[in-house]
Amino acid sequence: MAQSKGFKTANRRYLQAFWPLMAVYVGTVAVTSFFIDMDTASTAVRVASAAATTLPLAGVLWVIMRLIGETDEYTRLRQLTAMARGGAISAALATFVGFLQIYGAVDTVPVFFLGPCFFLAYGFSYGAACFGKSV
Amino acid sequence: MKNIIRALRAERGWSQQELADKLDVSRQSVNAIETGKYDPSLPLAFAIARLFGRSLEELFDDGTSLADAAE
Repeated sequence: MAQSKGFKTANRRYLQAFWPLMAVYVGTVAVTSFFIDMDTASTAVRVASAAATTLPLAGVLWVIMRLIGETDEYTRLRQLTAMARGGAISAALATFVGFLQIYGAVDTVPVFFLGPCFFLAYGFSYGAACFGKSV
Repeated sequence: MKNIIRALRAERGWSQQELADKLDVSRQSVNAIETGKYDPSLPLAFAIARLFGRSLEELFDDGTSLADAAE
């Protein structure tokens, strides 16, 4: 784990990386959605588009991990707790939806929703820790 | 773990945010330590002790006296 840089420095480094990555993500989604016809695009273009859209989000996950390594110990504990809760909720939900599919109760659900589900659960868990009881 | 950090901070007229800035931690960290919801690591505990010019034993009370601990 990275050496702790203190709360303020870690937060500043996180935000300095987070917003540019989100801007790249939004830009990539806009370009792939509005300027590339996926119905007629080659497989290579489709794969490249998916990779280009995923990379900024992978970068966001990396800067979150960097923040966890660099911030103060209590914030690190809260971030890791929220991330664990987000992962547990996502895994439970994915299992439930998986069984729904196996039992024929629902049609195929795109695996794409797993990512947003994790970020939502992670965000809510962290927000609950901020506004509710401390971990 | 009980501690006297809130009292020492109040003596100096510092807000939680000011103490957090001096320790380079979040305000929530200071609040959690003061209320006993979170026990700081040794490095942070020593940093707090140095800041207030007190020993760890003066700052923190785990409810066990030294005599009890020696038994």
